[in-house]
Amino acid sequence: MADIELRNVSKRYTGRVAAVEDVNLHIRDGEFMIFLGPSGCGKSTTLRMIAGLENISSGELFIGGKRMNDVAPRDRNIAVVFQSYALYPHMTVAENLAFGLKMHKRPQSEIEERVKRVSAMLGIGQFLERKPAALSGGQRQRVALGRALVRDPAAFLLDEPLSNLDAQLRADMRLELVKLHRQLGSTIIHVTHDQVEAMTMGERICIMKDGRVVQVGAPLDVYRNPANTFVAGFLASPPMNLIEARLTGEGDGLWVEAGAMRLQVPAAYREAYRAYVDKPVIFGIRAEDIHAHQAQPDWQALDADVVALETLGAEVVLVMGISGIARADIAARLGRDYRAQIGSRQQLYADLAEMQLFDPQTTNAIPRPQP
Amino acid sequence: MRLKTIAPHIILVLFACYIALPPLWVLRTSFVPDSVAYQPALMPEFTWQNYVKLFTEGTFARAYLNSFIASAGATILGLPLAAMTGYAFARYRTGGQISRFVVLATQMLPPVAIILPVFALFRMVGLTNSVTGLMIAYAAINLPFLTWILMGFFEGVPIELEWAAQVDGATVWEAFWKIVMPVSLPGIAAAAVLGFILAWNEFLFALILTGPTTATIPVALAGLQSSNGVQIAEISAGVVMGILPMLLASRFIQRYLVRGLTFGAVK
Ligand SMILES: Nc1ncnc2c1ncn2[C@@H]1O[C@H](COP(=O)(O)OP(=O)(O)OP(=O)(O)O)[C@@H](O)[C@H]1O
Ligand SMILES: [Mg+2]
Repeated sequence: MADIELRNVSKRYTGRVAAVEDVNLHIRDGEFMIFLGPSGCGKSTTLRMIAGLENISSGELFIGGKRMNDVAPRDRNIAVVFQSYALYPHMTVAENLAFGLKMHKRPQSEIEERVKRVSAMLGIGQFLERKPAALSGGQRQRVALGRALVRDPAAFLLDEPLSNLDAQLRADMRLELVKLHRQLGSTIIHVTHDQVEAMTMGERICIMKDGRVVQVGAPLDVYRNPANTFVAGFLASPPMNLIEARLTGEGDGLWVEAGAMRLQVPAAYREAYRAYVDKPVIFGIRAEDIHAHQAQPDWQALDADVVALETLGAEVVLVMGISGIARADIAARLGRDYRAQIGSRQQLYADLAEMQLFDPQTTNAIPRPQP
Repeated sequence: MRLKTIAPHIILVLFACYIALPPLWVLRTSFVPDSVAYQPALMPEFTWQNYVKLFTEGTFARAYLNSFIASAGATILGLPLAAMTGYAFARYRTGGQISRFVVLATQMLPPVAIILPVFALFRMVGLTNSVTGLMIAYAAINLPFLTWILMGFFEGVPIELEWAAQVDGATVWEAFWKIVMPVSLPGIAAAAVLGFILAWNEFLFALILTGPTTATIPVALAGLQSSNGVQIAEISAGVVMGILPMLLASRFIQRYLVRGLTFGAVK
């Protein structure tokens, strides 16, 4: 059990710009933390620095309150599950599981006991005598996880451990990891590309971009209050629609205007946004806040030119353009029975209760009261 | 359609003959008496005599043993050094591009250019006319080549394997010996066999650094050409005996080289 703290941590590879830049992050003891970000943003590098596999160029790392910058990986009491699993190919599953315990010179009886317990827990008991080459992807993934679990480490670092699995197995393992975390109560950092993993597994998400932490928070908080356009456009699929617009004022009212679209800002946000009247803004609206029928009186009509319909079974994602707006990839999540002609103009209804405005200069969200 | 498949096969057969005929003819010559060896007939007479003579008279049997000792010894001596150097180059980029190039550059030097200085040095320390001296020379000559080969193999070992070992509690040294070495075993075996073959076939150093009792197979075979004219049948028998271990070794290499390097470590 241990908390992990990064203070101004940076990583510079020779002859390159920083791969990780000035990261400040406190992962609480027993917390399930998600690292989410596009490829190359420095997630793995951060993980490797925490594990001690990569030098920290500057800044400080604390695990369980102790400064770890110069401590060898084997003395950090941390387990890593690599994306590639990195099972020892010349050893059987049992030997793979036992390797770490042997390295730590545990007595043979204890090794056997622990290997047995963990392999039973993960359902890999019948593969103990096999080599990794003779296992399926899902089984290898379990062995890799088992290798981390037997050592009973202070924290787990999981680098996209589910990305090699098929959709069904991934869904199963997602639940199992969460269950495991509840059982063990250990600190877990889980790196992922996957929106669903990010939203469902962790207690907090840390979103990274270009080596920097952009936003840290509980999944729903981040989802509903993205700190900037990057987070808004990255989290969830389809991502939040971001539309270049102008804010106009008329009497008491405020309107978001872009092309043929003119939507009234809810009264609750007027004060917060008034400073941006007659200025360009970026208007953000989630796909699920655009509806086919007007169920609430304050939902506002919107003329959409249908570009494509993605029929997903549980829902229909309508991809549309709005006349006068350059981008034609605005998405709306509609009921599963929704049908429309491609190229036709349809009337939809926007619910602005969860709208966001972003400053086009800084791309940061303009603060507003919570809905 | 039939012509399309037959034509390439005819070409292939011709090529196969072109390559295989000389060694096959050596094999044939090794089983006929010297007197009829030059006749174009396929097998005018059959005899084991060439082999019997080769191993009972003269120094060939001794040379065979010397070759084994020098080649095997050089491999055992050079391989661990090459493994560690190759690993340092592969993993830590020790010395950067330049050191890699220097290692390769030593291979471009013609052996004749260094044989005399080596001879002078060996004479000073009394290593001429000794199989041990030859072994040391071969280990040194093969080192760059083996280093280069093993570097390639180590570069193919995913670094995550070492990382996994390190977080599992291994030191860098333990990770190398317990994980990297066993995983690269096919590559190391292949390098060992290649190093052995190079030493086995080496002629120039053996000629200069050895005497009558310490000669190796290539030198002994050359000896058969000069003393009493060219004893072509006996030489052929010697060549066949010289090639035989290589044939076995090359099968061994093949088996290892075709096997996947990491066999299932990484998806
Ligand atoms: N050994 C290295 N030498 C130089 N640059 C490196 C090295 N390792 C990583 N980088 C660079 O550092 C940056 C961050 O890499 P990192 O592997 O941490 O990204 P990531 O967020 O894990 O990406 P992915 O999601 O694709 O795994 C990348 O731009 C990468 O090219
Ligand atoms: Mg990564």
